[in-house]
Amino acid sequence: MNDGVRILALARRVFLDRVKSTRMMIMLPILVLFLPGMAWGFSDPDIILPGGHQPDEPMEVLFYASLGVVFGATMCAVLLAFDGVSRDRASGVFELRLAQPMPRTHQAIALVLGMWQAIFIPVAILIFISIAIIRWRLGEWASVGDALMHLLATSLILLWYVVFTLLASSRTKDQGTAIAFGVGMWFLFTFLWALVTTMVAYASGVTIGEQNDMQWIALEGALDLLSPNGVYHHLLETRLIDIDRGVAAWQTWSMALAWTALPTWWFIRKMDELQP
Amino acid sequence: MLELKNVTFRHLIHAPTRIKPWRKQPGPGVLGVSLRLQPGEILGLVGPNGAGKTTLLRMIAGVLPIEKGKIHLNKNGTFEALDGSSLRTVVGHMPEQVRWQGRQTVEDALFELAQMRGSSLKRVNDLLRLVGLAERTKTPLSSLSQGMRQRLTLAAALLGTPKYLLLDEPLNGLDPVAAAAFIRLLKQLTTKGVSIVISSHQVEGLQAITDRVALMHRGQVLACGTLEAIAQNLGLTSTIEARGIGDAPDFSWCNLTEQTEEKGQWTAVLHDTQPNMLAEVLSRGIDFTAWIPKPPGIVEMLCAATGMDVEEVGLDIATAAMLPHRRLGGEEE
Repeated sequence: MNDGVRILALARRVFLDRVKSTRMMIMLPILVLFLPGMAWGFSDPDIILPGGHQPDEPMEVLFYASLGVVFGATMCAVLLAFDGVSRDRASGVFELRLAQPMPRTHQAIALVLGMWQAIFIPVAILIFISIAIIRWRLGEWASVGDALMHLLATSLILLWYVVFTLLASSRTKDQGTAIAFGVGMWFLFTFLWALVTTMVAYASGVTIGEQNDMQWIALEGALDLLSPNGVYHHLLETRLIDIDRGVAAWQTWSMALAWTALPTWWFIRKMDELQP
Repeated sequence: MLELKNVTFRHLIHAPTRIKPWRKQPGPGVLGVSLRLQPGEILGLVGPNGAGKTTLLRMIAGVLPIEKGKIHLNKNGTFEALDGSSLRTVVGHMPEQVRWQGRQTVEDALFELAQMRGSSLKRVNDLLRLVGLAERTKTPLSSLSQGMRQRLTLAAALLGTPKYLLLDEPLNGLDPVAAAAFIRLLKQLTTKGVSIVISSHQVEGLQAITDRVALMHRGQVLACGTLEAIAQNLGLTSTIEARGIGDAPDFSWCNLTEQTEEKGQWTAVLHDTQPNMLAEVLSRGIDFTAWIPKPPGIVEMLCAATGMDVEEVGLDIATAAMLPHRRLGGEEE
């Protein structure tokens, strides 16, 4: 059995363990409510959003429904992975894993892959259901490009949250601290980032919340690159014609790469020197 | 043969200052330990809590890095230095009290580890049969008793057919029947050339199964050899507990440690310093109902090896200071 097959085999075991867990059973209705539920709501032919806008394109509906990913799926990713390292570390099973000849780097990659699959595969299925709902409600399929971009961006944001959570889990020895780290980080990027943006804008002399102020839009767009949720929306916006927040596609992709590579590298490095 | 040469590892402990609240400094660990593991022998690693037994086992298992020193494997007369990865291939490690939990079955949990070693499902089932868990392959981990968890951990340590087996407090949680079966299994393994290191904070349980013991304290091996040889080197003698009915006999002719009398029964603890002690007692017409030889315990050995008294050893907590210790020859380091 070569290294790649071993990594995939271990990832599959982690995936099966998590996807069949009780917490997944509890989170599944939440995901159904947040993903196909939002797609159903935003694809209502009579819906009028607060700005008077009416989404009539499948990608537009997918974009608004991505709020379900930001609020629901990322939280589920955190709740699924928060004890990815700390539970086995506390029970002593982690020491048994570290005593196996499989390099720690490979174990870390398998852990990330398994956890990520456990949240992404159910979410991907629900996204396909959402696309079908949009087709039924709007009478139009999302283009392959739009659907792929939505899946890719969603897969990335879930990967980022899984890696952050595993990183937090590897730095703590008890479950309480691990979940506090994970939820705290989710809270920061999901709710508090707007506050951070407002504070930076205020300090920079930019009019806060002025929708037609280009300075505010550019600042918000730039600061969003420093948040995984912001990069996620920038990625989705690359498929929307009417949106320009002053961030070029290459900048968005570079930040997506950075958000993928840096925490993963940090986690692998942490696993390499982790003690039981 | 596996040979440890001056291996050292020190845990980093928090030592915050006002300027650097995250500061860490080297603390307790294992300091310059040298040992040899012969094929087919059982080595007992004994010492009080915090002596460094678990740290040393983790270093040999390739779980903790070796900061200084080397571990060599004797292969056909040539010594080959082993890194962490090579160690993990030849060594099986059974950590102390693994709390297996969750809905995963016994077979699945072991197969997960087996896949990390490239072992097959057949090997997993063979091992489960060997440790007496053949009937429990489909049992969820949460339903296992402590003894069964210990057996499962042993099976995990035996994956990959290791030449060296490290067992950290393996008899904890096992009932006497399971412990006897466990010891029998260890003896079987040694006949196949497997070297076993067992750590324990109790000498008594190890006497019957170990070929040699290494006495550890504050991260150092103070003495290594057979229990008798260590006791002799430290100038310690065995004691004999004699019991009888009626009035306590006169033991003033020998080295008496302690004598008590209660409800028509007497107990005397004698130092076994004279040759043919039993014959001497019988010749003096002393009538007894029990004659129990007792070898020196770990506390006595530690006291003799460190020069500390019982209270000091008992209350001693390994600190970052790593105070010098007196070796067998009396020299300090």
